[in-house]
Amino acid sequence: MIELQDVSRVYHRGVDQVHALAHVTLHVAAGRFVALMGPSGSGKSTLLNLLAGLDRPDSGEVMVAGQPLSTLDEDGLAAWRARHVGLVFQFYNLIPVLSALENVELPLLLTTLGRPERRRRAEVALGAVGLASRAHHRPRQLSGGEQQRVAIARAIVTDPDLIVADEPTGDLDAKSAVEILTLLRELNRAFEKTVVMVTHDPRAERFVDAVVHLDKGVLVNGGGRGS
Amino acid sequence: MLTLPAAISAIFARAGSNVRLAVHHKAGLTYWLPFAFVQKIRGVPGVAGVNHYSWFGGIYDEPKNLFPNFAMDPETVDRVWPDYGIDPGALARFRQIRNGALVGEQTMRKFSWRVGQEVTLRGTIFPVDLTFQIVGVIPAASGNPLVFWFNRKYLEEAMDSRGGFLRVGMIWIRADRPEHVPGIARAIDELFRNSDSEVATETEKSFVASFYSSLQGFMRVILAVGFLVVAAVVLIAANTSAMGVRERLPEIAVLKSLGFGRRAILLTLMAESTLQATVGGLLGAGGAYAIFQALGAAGKTSNALPFLGPFGGFHMSPLVAAEGLAVAVTVGLVAGVVPAWTGARLNVVEAFRRLF
Repeated sequence: MIELQDVSRVYHRGVDQVHALAHVTLHVAAGRFVALMGPSGSGKSTLLNLLAGLDRPDSGEVMVAGQPLSTLDEDGLAAWRARHVGLVFQFYNLIPVLSALENVELPLLLTTLGRPERRRRAEVALGAVGLASRAHHRPRQLSGGEQQRVAIARAIVTDPDLIVADEPTGDLDAKSAVEILTLLRELNRAFEKTVVMVTHDPRAERFVDAVVHLDKGVLVNGGGRGS
Repeated sequence: MLTLPAAISAIFARAGSNVRLAVHHKAGLTYWLPFAFVQKIRGVPGVAGVNHYSWFGGIYDEPKNLFPNFAMDPETVDRVWPDYGIDPGALARFRQIRNGALVGEQTMRKFSWRVGQEVTLRGTIFPVDLTFQIVGVIPAASGNPLVFWFNRKYLEEAMDSRGGFLRVGMIWIRADRPEHVPGIARAIDELFRNSDSEVATETEKSFVASFYSSLQGFMRVILAVGFLVVAAVVLIAANTSAMGVRERLPEIAVLKSLGFGRRAILLTLMAESTLQATVGGLLGAGGAYAIFQALGAAGKTSNALPFLGPFGGFHMSPLVAAEGLAVAVTVGLVAGVVPAWTGARLNVVEAFRRLF
Protein backbone atom coordinates (compact mmCIF):
# COMPACT_ATOMS: atom_id res chain seq x y z
CA MET A 1 0.00 0.00 0.00
CA ILE A 2 2.69 2.48 1.02
CA GLU A 3 6.26 2.28 -0.20
CA LEU A 4 8.88 4.84 0.79
CA GLN A 5 12.23 4.20 -0.82
CA ASP A 6 15.26 6.05 0.52
CA VAL A 7 13.26 9.22 1.11
CA SER A 8 14.94 12.41 2.35
CA ARG A 9 13.48 15.82 3.02
CA VAL A 10 15.50 18.89 3.86
CA TYR A 11 14.06 22.23 4.96
CA HIS A 12 15.95 25.45 4.54
CA ARG A 13 15.70 27.92 7.40
CA GLY A 14 17.78 30.89 6.34
CA VAL A 15 21.28 29.57 5.78
CA ASP A 16 20.62 26.49 7.90
CA GLN A 17 19.48 23.16 6.54
CA VAL A 18 17.18 21.00 8.64
CA HIS A 19 17.20 17.32 7.71
CA ALA A 20 13.60 16.44 8.56
CA LEU A 21 13.90 12.96 7.04
CA ALA A 22 17.07 11.16 6.08
CA HIS A 23 17.05 8.10 3.81
CA VAL A 24 13.83 6.64 5.17
CA THR A 25 12.61 3.38 3.71
CA LEU A 26 9.21 2.18 4.87
CA HIS A 27 6.57 -0.28 3.77
CA VAL A 28 3.02 -0.34 5.09
CA ALA A 29 0.75 -3.11 3.89
CA ALA A 30 -2.83 -2.44 2.89
CA GLY A 31 -5.37 -2.55 5.73
CA ARG A 32 -2.81 -1.90 8.47
CA PHE A 33 -3.17 0.64 11.26
CA VAL A 34 0.26 2.14 11.88
CA ALA A 35 1.31 4.76 14.42
CA LEU A 36 4.27 7.06 13.80
CA MET A 37 5.80 8.04 17.12
CA GLY A 38 8.78 9.99 18.24
CA PRO A 39 9.83 13.22 19.90
CA SER A 40 8.99 16.64 18.49
CA GLY A 41 11.05 17.44 15.41
CA SER A 42 11.70 13.78 14.66
CA GLY A 43 10.09 14.02 11.21
CA LYS A 44 6.73 12.35 11.91
CA SER A 45 4.57 15.06 10.37
CA THR A 46 6.99 15.43 7.44
CA LEU A 47 6.62 11.73 6.74
CA LEU A 48 2.85 12.02 6.98
CA ASN A 49 2.79 14.99 4.58
CA LEU A 50 4.81 13.00 2.07
CA LEU A 51 2.41 10.03 2.31
CA ALA A 52 -0.58 12.32 1.84
CA GLY A 53 0.92 14.04 -1.19
CA LEU A 54 0.98 17.38 0.60
CA ASP A 55 4.75 17.64 0.26
CA ARG A 56 7.46 16.23 -1.98
CA PRO A 57 10.72 14.55 -1.00
CA ASP A 58 14.06 15.99 -2.03
CA SER A 59 15.19 12.50 -2.94
CA GLY A 60 13.75 9.01 -2.96
CA GLU A 61 10.38 7.78 -4.09
CA VAL A 62 6.98 7.72 -2.44
CA MET A 63 4.46 5.29 -3.85
CA VAL A 64 0.94 5.01 -2.46
CA ALA A 65 -1.67 2.55 -3.76
CA GLY A 66 0.57 1.85 -6.73
CA GLN A 67 0.91 5.50 -7.67
CA PRO A 68 4.42 7.03 -7.71
CA LEU A 69 3.65 10.52 -6.39
CA SER A 70 6.68 12.11 -8.05
CA THR A 71 4.98 11.68 -11.43
CA LEU A 72 2.12 14.00 -10.47
CA ASP A 73 2.20 17.78 -10.68
CA GLU A 74 0.54 19.90 -8.00
CA ASP A 75 -2.94 19.78 -9.49
CA GLY A 76 -2.51 16.07 -10.21
CA LEU A 77 -1.53 15.51 -6.59
CA ALA A 78 -4.59 17.46 -5.43
CA ALA A 79 -6.87 15.34 -7.61
CA TRP A 80 -5.14 12.15 -6.44
CA ARG A 81 -5.48 13.24 -2.80
CA ALA A 82 -9.19 13.88 -3.30
CA ARG A 83 -9.69 10.32 -4.53
CA HIS A 84 -7.30 8.29 -2.41
CA VAL A 85 -6.52 10.04 0.89
CA GLY A 86 -8.61 11.04 3.88
CA LEU A 87 -6.99 13.56 6.21
CA VAL A 88 -7.60 14.02 9.94
CA PHE A 89 -5.89 16.91 11.75
CA GLN A 90 -5.09 17.60 15.38
CA PHE A 91 -7.27 20.73 15.45
CA TYR A 92 -10.06 19.19 13.34
CA ASN A 93 -9.85 22.00 10.73
CA LEU A 94 -13.57 22.11 10.07
CA ILE A 95 -15.00 25.06 8.17
CA PRO A 96 -16.73 27.06 10.92
CA VAL A 97 -19.55 28.50 8.78
CA LEU A 98 -20.64 25.08 7.55
CA SER A 99 -22.72 22.55 9.43
CA ALA A 100 -21.29 19.14 10.34
CA LEU A 101 -23.10 17.61 7.36
CA GLU A 102 -21.84 20.28 4.98
CA ASN A 103 -18.30 19.85 6.26
CA VAL A 104 -18.50 16.13 5.57
CA GLU A 105 -19.99 16.78 2.15
CA LEU A 106 -17.16 19.15 1.20
CA PRO A 107 -14.75 16.60 -0.40
CA LEU A 108 -17.63 15.22 -2.46
CA LEU A 109 -17.92 18.58 -4.24
CA LEU A 110 -14.86 17.46 -6.19
CA THR A 111 -16.74 14.45 -7.54
CA THR A 112 -19.38 14.27 -10.23
CA LEU A 113 -22.06 13.19 -7.73
CA GLY A 114 -25.33 15.09 -7.64
CA ARG A 115 -26.41 16.96 -4.53
CA PRO A 116 -28.87 14.32 -3.24
CA GLU A 117 -26.26 11.57 -3.51
CA ARG A 118 -23.62 13.77 -1.86
CA ARG A 119 -26.01 14.43 1.00
CA ARG A 120 -26.83 10.76 1.35
CA ARG A 121 -23.17 9.74 1.49
CA ALA A 122 -22.36 12.51 3.97
CA GLU A 123 -25.22 11.32 6.19
CA VAL A 124 -23.93 7.74 5.99
CA ALA A 125 -20.42 8.89 6.95
CA LEU A 126 -21.76 10.96 9.85
CA GLY A 127 -23.81 7.96 10.94
CA ALA A 128 -20.68 5.78 10.83
CA VAL A 129 -18.98 8.03 13.39
CA GLY A 130 -22.13 8.19 15.54
CA LEU A 131 -23.05 11.81 14.85
CA ALA A 132 -26.17 11.51 12.70
CA SER A 133 -28.14 13.47 15.27
CA ARG A 134 -25.67 16.39 15.16
CA ALA A 135 -25.69 16.77 11.38
CA HIS A 136 -26.97 20.33 11.35
CA HIS A 137 -24.82 21.68 14.16
CA ARG A 138 -22.01 24.09 13.45
CA PRO A 139 -18.51 23.10 14.63
CA ARG A 140 -18.58 25.59 17.54
CA GLN A 141 -21.73 23.85 18.81
CA LEU A 142 -19.86 20.54 19.07
CA SER A 143 -17.39 19.28 21.65
CA GLY A 144 -13.76 18.60 20.68
CA GLY A 145 -14.38 14.88 20.42
CA GLU A 146 -17.46 15.44 18.28
CA GLN A 147 -15.59 17.82 16.00
CA GLN A 148 -12.89 15.20 15.53
CA ARG A 149 -15.56 12.63 14.68
CA VAL A 150 -16.91 15.02 12.03
CA ALA A 151 -13.36 15.40 10.69
CA ILE A 152 -13.06 11.59 10.53
CA ALA A 153 -16.40 11.37 8.73
CA ARG A 154 -15.08 13.96 6.25
CA ALA A 155 -11.95 11.82 5.80
CA ILE A 156 -13.87 8.64 5.01
CA VAL A 157 -16.74 10.04 2.97
CA THR A 158 -14.89 9.63 -0.33
CA ASP A 159 -14.03 6.02 0.56
CA PRO A 160 -10.27 6.63 0.34
CA ASP A 161 -7.60 3.92 0.32
CA LEU A 162 -5.58 5.66 3.00
CA ILE A 163 -6.52 7.62 6.11
CA VAL A 164 -3.79 9.90 7.40
CA ALA A 165 -4.22 11.32 10.87
CA ASP A 166 -1.88 13.92 12.38
CA GLU A 167 -2.14 13.72 16.17
CA PRO A 168 -5.91 13.21 16.10
CA THR A 169 -6.09 12.92 19.89
CA GLY A 170 -3.65 15.74 20.64
CA ASP A 171 -6.34 18.27 21.50
CA LEU A 172 -8.74 15.93 23.29
CA ASP A 173 -9.36 14.83 26.86
CA ALA A 174 -8.54 11.25 27.78
CA LYS A 175 -12.08 9.91 27.29
CA SER A 176 -12.54 11.54 23.91
CA ALA A 177 -9.05 10.44 22.85
CA VAL A 178 -9.89 6.81 23.55
CA GLU A 179 -13.18 7.18 21.66
CA ILE A 180 -11.37 8.57 18.61
CA LEU A 181 -8.71 5.86 18.71
CA THR A 182 -11.45 3.25 19.02
CA LEU A 183 -13.29 4.78 16.08
CA LEU A 184 -10.19 4.76 13.90
CA ARG A 185 -9.53 1.17 14.86
CA GLU A 186 -13.12 0.22 13.95
CA LEU A 187 -12.90 1.97 10.62
CA ASN A 188 -9.64 0.21 9.96
CA ARG A 189 -11.13 -3.18 10.82
CA ALA A 190 -14.64 -2.77 9.39
CA PHE A 191 -13.70 -1.11 6.11
CA GLU A 192 -10.12 -2.39 5.84
CA LYS A 193 -8.78 1.12 5.49
CA THR A 194 -5.07 1.65 5.81
CA VAL A 195 -4.54 4.17 8.60
CA VAL A 196 -1.28 5.97 9.33
CA MET A 197 -1.39 8.12 12.43
CA VAL A 198 1.15 10.44 13.98
CA THR A 199 0.75 10.48 17.74
CA HIS A 200 2.45 11.24 21.01
CA ASP A 201 -0.29 9.39 22.86
CA PRO A 202 1.10 6.22 24.49
CA ARG A 203 -2.47 4.80 24.67
CA ALA A 204 -2.40 4.57 20.89
CA GLU A 205 -0.10 1.59 20.99
CA ARG A 206 -3.02 -0.57 22.20
CA PHE A 207 -5.09 0.25 19.11
CA VAL A 208 -2.58 -0.02 16.27
CA ASP A 209 -1.04 -2.94 14.41
CA ALA A 210 2.45 -1.48 14.38
CA VAL A 211 4.39 1.46 15.77
CA VAL A 212 7.11 3.13 13.74
CA HIS A 213 9.53 5.19 15.80
CA LEU A 214 11.36 8.12 14.33
CA ASP A 215 14.16 10.15 15.81
CA LYS A 216 15.98 13.03 14.12
CA GLY A 217 14.56 12.07 10.77
CA VAL A 218 15.65 8.47 10.93
CA LEU A 219 13.57 5.33 11.46
CA VAL A 220 14.49 3.81 14.79
CA ASN A 221 12.46 0.63 14.37
CA GLY A 222 9.43 -0.74 12.64
CA GLY A 223 10.43 0.30 9.18
CA GLY A 224 10.67 -3.14 7.82
CA ARG A 225 8.34 -4.79 5.40
CA GLY A 226 4.73 -5.16 6.42
CA SER A 227 4.69 -2.63 9.26
CA MET B 1 -18.15 60.23 -11.38
CA LEU B 2 -16.73 58.20 -14.23
CA THR B 3 -20.18 57.95 -15.77
CA LEU B 4 -20.83 61.73 -15.62
CA PRO B 5 -19.35 62.51 -19.08
CA ALA B 6 -21.55 59.83 -20.61
CA ALA B 7 -24.55 61.28 -18.80
CA ILE B 8 -23.78 64.77 -20.15
CA SER B 9 -23.36 63.33 -23.66
CA ALA B 10 -26.79 61.77 -23.29
CA ILE B 11 -28.18 65.21 -22.34
CA PHE B 12 -26.59 66.71 -25.49
CA ALA B 13 -28.08 63.95 -27.61
CA ARG B 14 -31.56 64.71 -26.24
CA ALA B 15 -31.15 68.46 -26.54
CA GLY B 16 -30.17 68.80 -30.16
CA SER B 17 -31.95 68.57 -33.48
CA ASN B 18 -30.28 67.91 -36.82
CA VAL B 19 -32.66 70.04 -38.86
CA ARG B 20 -32.50 73.10 -36.62
CA LEU B 21 -29.60 75.44 -37.15
CA ALA B 22 -28.15 78.19 -35.00
CA VAL B 23 -26.64 81.30 -36.56
CA HIS B 24 -24.48 83.42 -34.31
CA HIS B 25 -21.67 85.93 -34.59
CA LYS B 26 -18.49 84.25 -35.74
CA ALA B 27 -16.62 85.89 -32.87
CA GLY B 28 -18.87 84.32 -30.24
CA LEU B 29 -22.22 84.34 -28.58
CA THR B 30 -21.63 87.57 -26.70
CA TYR B 31 -21.51 89.58 -29.94
CA TRP B 32 -24.75 90.94 -31.34
CA LEU B 33 -25.90 90.60 -34.94
CA PRO B 34 -27.89 93.23 -36.90
CA PHE B 35 -31.60 92.42 -36.70
CA ALA B 36 -31.82 92.87 -40.48
CA PHE B 37 -30.03 89.51 -40.84
CA VAL B 38 -33.24 87.76 -39.79
CA GLN B 39 -35.08 88.96 -42.87
CA LYS B 40 -32.17 88.14 -45.17
CA ILE B 41 -31.97 84.59 -43.85
CA ARG B 42 -35.68 84.04 -44.47
CA GLY B 43 -34.89 84.26 -48.19
CA VAL B 44 -32.30 81.46 -48.18
CA PRO B 45 -33.59 78.42 -50.13
CA GLY B 46 -34.49 75.43 -47.98
CA VAL B 47 -35.30 77.50 -44.89
CA ALA B 48 -38.69 76.44 -43.52
CA GLY B 49 -38.80 78.78 -40.54
CA VAL B 50 -36.75 81.47 -38.82
CA ASN B 51 -36.81 82.73 -35.28
CA HIS B 52 -34.33 84.52 -33.09
CA TYR B 53 -33.08 84.90 -29.55
CA SER B 54 -32.01 88.04 -27.75
CA TRP B 55 -30.76 87.39 -24.24
CA PHE B 56 -32.69 89.66 -21.89
CA GLY B 57 -30.84 88.61 -18.75
CA GLY B 58 -33.84 89.34 -16.52
CA ILE B 59 -33.92 88.23 -12.88
CA TYR B 60 -36.98 87.36 -10.86
CA ASP B 61 -37.17 88.91 -7.38
CA GLU B 62 -33.59 88.18 -6.36
CA PRO B 63 -30.29 88.09 -8.31
CA LYS B 64 -29.98 84.36 -7.61
CA ASN B 65 -33.17 83.78 -9.61
CA LEU B 66 -31.43 83.98 -12.96
CA PHE B 67 -32.63 81.73 -15.78
CA PRO B 68 -32.46 81.88 -19.60
CA ASN B 69 -35.00 84.44 -20.81
CA PHE B 70 -35.09 85.49 -24.44
CA ALA B 71 -36.93 87.99 -26.59
CA MET B 72 -38.06 86.20 -29.75
CA ASP B 73 -40.74 85.99 -32.45
CA PRO B 74 -44.07 84.42 -31.38
CA GLU B 75 -45.19 84.04 -34.99
CA THR B 76 -42.78 81.28 -36.01
CA VAL B 77 -42.39 79.22 -32.84
CA ASP B 78 -44.44 76.35 -34.29
CA ARG B 79 -42.40 76.37 -37.49
CA VAL B 80 -38.98 76.34 -35.83
CA TRP B 81 -39.80 74.17 -32.79
CA PRO B 82 -42.66 71.91 -33.93
CA ASP B 83 -41.07 69.06 -31.95
CA TYR B 84 -41.49 70.87 -28.60
CA GLY B 85 -45.10 69.82 -28.23
CA ILE B 86 -46.33 73.24 -27.09
CA ASP B 87 -50.09 73.49 -26.71
CA PRO B 88 -51.58 75.24 -29.82
CA GLY B 89 -53.85 77.32 -27.56
CA ALA B 90 -50.81 78.59 -25.69
CA LEU B 91 -49.09 79.44 -28.96
CA ALA B 92 -52.18 81.37 -30.11
CA ARG B 93 -52.22 83.37 -26.86
CA PHE B 94 -48.49 83.96 -27.20
CA ARG B 95 -49.09 85.53 -30.59
CA GLN B 96 -52.04 87.61 -29.41
CA ILE B 97 -50.86 88.95 -26.07
CA ARG B 98 -48.06 91.45 -26.44
CA ASN B 99 -46.52 90.80 -23.02
CA GLY B 100 -47.24 87.06 -23.15
CA ALA B 101 -44.56 84.59 -22.14
CA LEU B 102 -44.03 80.87 -22.69
CA VAL B 103 -42.14 79.35 -19.79
CA GLY B 104 -40.29 76.05 -19.47
CA GLU B 105 -41.94 73.47 -17.24
CA GLN B 106 -39.05 73.29 -14.79
CA THR B 107 -38.85 77.05 -14.34
CA MET B 108 -42.62 77.11 -13.80
CA ARG B 109 -42.24 74.59 -11.01
CA LYS B 110 -39.17 76.21 -9.56
CA PHE B 111 -41.01 79.45 -8.90
CA SER B 112 -44.44 77.85 -8.44
CA TRP B 113 -45.79 79.92 -11.30
CA ARG B 114 -49.07 79.15 -13.02
CA VAL B 115 -50.49 80.02 -16.43
CA GLY B 116 -52.21 83.41 -16.34
CA GLN B 117 -49.97 84.77 -13.61
CA GLU B 118 -48.11 88.06 -14.10
CA VAL B 119 -44.40 88.11 -13.32
CA THR B 120 -41.89 90.93 -13.53
CA LEU B 121 -38.32 90.41 -14.67
CA ARG B 122 -35.74 93.02 -13.76
CA GLY B 123 -33.42 93.79 -16.68
CA THR B 124 -29.70 93.39 -16.11
CA ILE B 125 -28.56 94.01 -19.69
CA PHE B 126 -31.43 96.24 -20.76
CA PRO B 127 -32.36 99.23 -18.57
CA VAL B 128 -35.98 98.15 -18.29
CA ASP B 129 -38.08 95.97 -16.03
CA LEU B 130 -40.77 94.06 -17.91
CA THR B 131 -43.98 92.55 -16.61
CA PHE B 132 -45.20 89.44 -18.41
CA GLN B 133 -48.32 87.36 -18.44
CA ILE B 134 -47.59 83.67 -18.58
CA VAL B 135 -49.65 82.23 -21.43
CA GLY B 136 -48.35 78.68 -21.64
CA VAL B 137 -45.80 76.07 -20.72
CA ILE B 138 -42.93 74.60 -22.72
CA PRO B 139 -43.01 70.89 -21.81
CA ALA B 140 -39.97 69.39 -20.09
CA ALA B 141 -39.94 66.69 -22.79
CA SER B 142 -38.79 69.35 -25.24
CA GLY B 143 -35.36 69.18 -23.61
CA ASN B 144 -35.58 72.93 -23.00
CA PRO B 145 -37.40 73.10 -19.66
CA LEU B 146 -35.73 76.20 -18.19
CA VAL B 147 -36.26 78.73 -20.94
CA PHE B 148 -38.52 81.83 -20.72
CA TRP B 149 -39.68 83.19 -24.09
CA PHE B 150 -41.37 86.52 -24.68
CA ASN B 151 -42.29 88.76 -27.61
CA ARG B 152 -39.39 90.79 -28.97
CA LYS B 153 -41.75 93.60 -29.95
CA TYR B 154 -42.58 94.12 -26.27
CA LEU B 155 -38.88 94.69 -25.56
CA GLU B 156 -38.47 96.91 -28.63
CA GLU B 157 -41.34 99.12 -27.42
CA ALA B 158 -39.82 99.38 -23.97
CA MET B 159 -36.51 100.36 -25.54
CA ASP B 160 -37.96 102.90 -27.99
CA SER B 161 -37.46 105.81 -25.62
CA ARG B 162 -33.96 104.58 -24.80
CA GLY B 163 -32.43 104.58 -28.26
CA GLY B 164 -34.27 101.55 -29.66
CA PHE B 165 -33.16 97.97 -30.09
CA LEU B 166 -32.11 96.81 -33.55
CA ARG B 167 -29.88 93.89 -32.79
CA VAL B 168 -30.35 90.21 -32.22
CA GLY B 169 -28.33 87.68 -30.24
CA MET B 170 -28.69 84.66 -32.48
CA ILE B 171 -30.97 83.33 -35.16
CA TRP B 172 -32.68 79.94 -35.22
CA ILE B 173 -33.54 78.23 -38.48
CA ARG B 174 -35.45 75.10 -39.29
CA ALA B 175 -34.50 73.46 -42.58
CA ASP B 176 -37.24 71.93 -44.72
CA ARG B 177 -35.24 68.68 -45.16
CA PRO B 178 -32.23 67.24 -43.35
CA GLU B 179 -30.22 66.92 -46.56
CA HIS B 180 -30.54 70.68 -47.11
CA VAL B 181 -28.85 71.51 -43.80
CA PRO B 182 -25.22 71.64 -45.04
CA GLY B 183 -26.17 73.77 -48.04
CA ILE B 184 -28.19 76.20 -45.92
CA ALA B 185 -25.32 76.57 -43.45
CA ARG B 186 -22.86 77.28 -46.26
CA ALA B 187 -25.23 79.73 -47.95
CA ILE B 188 -25.81 81.73 -44.76
CA ASP B 189 -22.13 81.89 -43.87
CA GLU B 190 -21.43 83.01 -47.43
CA LEU B 191 -24.24 85.57 -47.33
CA PHE B 192 -22.59 87.54 -44.54
CA ARG B 193 -18.96 86.93 -45.45
CA ASN B 194 -16.89 90.11 -45.39
CA SER B 195 -19.69 91.97 -43.57
CA ASP B 196 -19.14 93.75 -40.28
CA SER B 197 -20.74 90.78 -38.56
CA GLU B 198 -19.62 87.51 -40.08
CA VAL B 199 -21.67 84.58 -38.85
CA ALA B 200 -21.14 80.93 -38.00
CA THR B 201 -23.96 78.50 -38.76
CA GLU B 202 -24.17 75.08 -37.19
CA THR B 203 -26.75 72.46 -36.34
CA GLU B 204 -28.44 72.74 -32.97
CA LYS B 205 -26.74 69.52 -31.86
CA SER B 206 -23.33 70.93 -32.76
CA PHE B 207 -24.23 74.29 -31.21
CA VAL B 208 -25.24 72.72 -27.92
CA ALA B 209 -22.08 70.62 -27.91
CA SER B 210 -19.82 73.61 -28.60
CA PHE B 211 -21.72 75.66 -26.03
CA TYR B 212 -20.81 73.07 -23.47
CA SER B 213 -17.28 72.61 -24.79
CA SER B 214 -16.18 75.18 -22.25
CA LEU B 215 -17.08 72.48 -19.74
CA GLN B 216 -14.52 70.12 -21.22
CA GLY B 217 -11.78 71.20 -18.84
CA PHE B 218 -14.18 70.62 -15.99
CA MET B 219 -15.07 67.25 -17.47
CA ARG B 220 -11.41 66.30 -17.65
CA VAL B 221 -11.04 67.18 -13.97
CA ILE B 222 -14.12 65.08 -13.19
CA LEU B 223 -12.67 62.18 -15.17
CA ALA B 224 -9.28 62.51 -13.47
CA VAL B 225 -10.87 62.67 -10.03
CA GLY B 226 -13.15 59.79 -11.01
CA PHE B 227 -10.18 57.64 -12.02
CA LEU B 228 -8.37 58.54 -8.81
CA VAL B 229 -11.45 57.61 -6.79
CA VAL B 230 -11.77 54.31 -8.65
CA ALA B 231 -8.04 53.63 -8.17
CA ALA B 232 -8.40 54.34 -4.45
CA VAL B 233 -11.47 52.09 -4.30
CA VAL B 234 -9.53 49.33 -6.10
CA LEU B 235 -6.76 49.61 -3.49
CA ILE B 236 -9.27 49.58 -0.62
CA ALA B 237 -11.14 46.65 -2.16
CA ALA B 238 -7.88 44.81 -2.83
CA ASN B 239 -6.84 45.36 0.78
CA THR B 240 -10.23 44.14 1.99
CA SER B 241 -9.99 41.14 -0.28
CA ALA B 242 -6.41 40.45 0.87
CA MET B 243 -7.53 40.68 4.51
CA GLY B 244 -10.39 38.29 3.76
CA VAL B 245 -7.99 35.79 2.18
CA ARG B 246 -5.48 36.22 5.02
CA GLU B 247 -8.15 35.57 7.63
CA ARG B 248 -9.23 32.43 5.83
CA LEU B 249 -5.83 30.98 5.06
CA PRO B 250 -6.59 28.06 7.41
CA GLU B 251 -9.77 27.28 5.48
CA ILE B 252 -7.98 27.60 2.16
CA ALA B 253 -5.25 25.28 3.43
CA VAL B 254 -7.89 22.76 4.50
CA LEU B 255 -9.63 22.95 1.12
CA LYS B 256 -6.32 22.42 -0.67
CA SER B 257 -5.47 19.49 1.58
CA LEU B 258 -8.85 17.92 0.75
CA GLY B 259 -7.96 18.05 -2.92
CA PHE B 260 -9.31 21.38 -4.17
CA GLY B 261 -6.95 22.49 -6.94
CA ARG B 262 -5.40 25.90 -7.51
CA ARG B 263 -7.92 26.73 -10.24
CA ALA B 264 -10.91 25.98 -8.00
CA ILE B 265 -9.47 28.10 -5.17
CA LEU B 266 -8.56 30.95 -7.55
CA LEU B 267 -12.00 31.01 -9.15
CA THR B 268 -13.77 30.79 -5.79
CA LEU B 269 -11.85 33.72 -4.33
CA MET B 270 -12.22 35.78 -7.51
CA ALA B 271 -15.93 35.02 -7.60
CA GLU B 272 -16.27 36.11 -3.99
CA SER B 273 -14.50 39.41 -4.59
CA THR B 274 -16.52 40.06 -7.76
CA LEU B 275 -19.78 39.10 -6.09
CA GLN B 276 -19.13 41.49 -3.21
CA ALA B 277 -18.33 44.32 -5.63
CA THR B 278 -21.35 43.48 -7.78
CA VAL B 279 -23.69 43.58 -4.80
CA GLY B 280 -22.12 46.91 -3.78
CA GLY B 281 -22.49 48.18 -7.34
CA LEU B 282 -26.11 47.06 -7.50
CA LEU B 283 -26.86 48.82 -4.24
CA GLY B 284 -24.98 51.97 -5.29
CA ALA B 285 -25.98 52.31 -8.93
CA GLY B 286 -29.42 50.80 -8.44
CA GLY B 287 -30.03 52.93 -5.36
CA ALA B 288 -28.93 56.11 -7.13
CA TYR B 289 -31.11 55.25 -10.12
CA ALA B 290 -34.13 54.61 -7.90
CA ILE B 291 -33.54 57.82 -5.91
CA PHE B 292 -33.25 59.99 -9.02
CA GLN B 293 -36.30 58.35 -10.54
CA ALA B 294 -38.21 59.08 -7.34
CA LEU B 295 -36.96 62.69 -7.24
CA GLY B 296 -37.92 63.15 -10.89
CA ALA B 297 -41.37 61.73 -10.24
CA ALA B 298 -41.78 63.93 -7.16
CA GLY B 299 -40.80 66.99 -9.19
CA LYS B 300 -43.39 66.18 -11.86
CA THR B 301 -46.31 65.41 -9.64
CA SER B 302 -45.96 67.96 -6.89
CA ASN B 303 -44.68 71.39 -6.14
CA ALA B 304 -41.68 69.93 -4.39
CA LEU B 305 -39.17 71.26 -6.90
CA PRO B 306 -38.19 74.36 -4.88
CA PHE B 307 -37.31 72.05 -1.99
CA LEU B 308 -35.47 69.58 -4.19
CA GLY B 309 -33.22 72.25 -5.63
CA PRO B 310 -30.97 71.02 -8.44
CA PHE B 311 -31.76 67.40 -7.58
CA GLY B 312 -35.19 67.82 -9.18
CA GLY B 313 -33.50 68.35 -12.54
CA PHE B 314 -31.04 65.45 -12.30
CA HIS B 315 -31.56 62.55 -14.64
CA MET B 316 -29.84 59.19 -14.51
CA SER B 317 -30.34 56.96 -17.51
CA PRO B 318 -30.36 53.15 -17.21
CA LEU B 319 -27.18 53.16 -19.32
CA VAL B 320 -25.36 55.32 -16.78
CA ALA B 321 -26.55 53.02 -13.97
CA ALA B 322 -25.29 50.05 -15.99
CA GLU B 323 -21.93 51.78 -16.46
CA GLY B 324 -21.69 52.33 -12.71
CA LEU B 325 -22.40 48.65 -12.14
CA ALA B 326 -19.80 47.70 -14.76
CA VAL B 327 -17.20 49.86 -12.99
CA ALA B 328 -18.04 48.12 -9.70
CA VAL B 329 -17.72 44.65 -11.24
CA THR B 330 -14.38 45.62 -12.77
CA VAL B 331 -13.17 46.91 -9.40
CA GLY B 332 -14.12 43.56 -7.83
CA LEU B 333 -12.32 41.59 -10.51
CA VAL B 334 -9.16 43.71 -10.42
CA ALA B 335 -9.08 43.89 -6.63
CA GLY B 336 -9.51 40.14 -6.28
CA VAL B 337 -6.75 39.01 -8.64
CA VAL B 338 -3.68 39.28 -6.40
CA PRO B 339 -5.27 37.96 -3.16
CA ALA B 340 -6.91 35.10 -5.07
CA TRP B 341 -3.63 34.24 -6.78
CA THR B 342 -1.87 34.30 -3.39
CA GLY B 343 -4.52 32.03 -1.90
CA ALA B 344 -4.42 29.63 -4.84
CA ARG B 345 -0.64 29.26 -4.58
CA LEU B 346 -0.70 28.70 -0.83
CA ASN B 347 1.72 26.01 0.32
CA VAL B 348 -0.41 23.70 2.45
CA VAL B 349 2.43 22.29 4.56
CA GLU B 350 3.83 25.74 5.25
CA ALA B 351 0.33 27.03 6.05
CA PHE B 352 -0.40 24.19 8.50
CA ARG B 353 2.95 24.67 10.19
CA ARG B 354 2.38 28.40 10.56
CA LEU B 355 -1.32 28.48 11.31
CA PHE B 356 -2.02 25.45 13.46
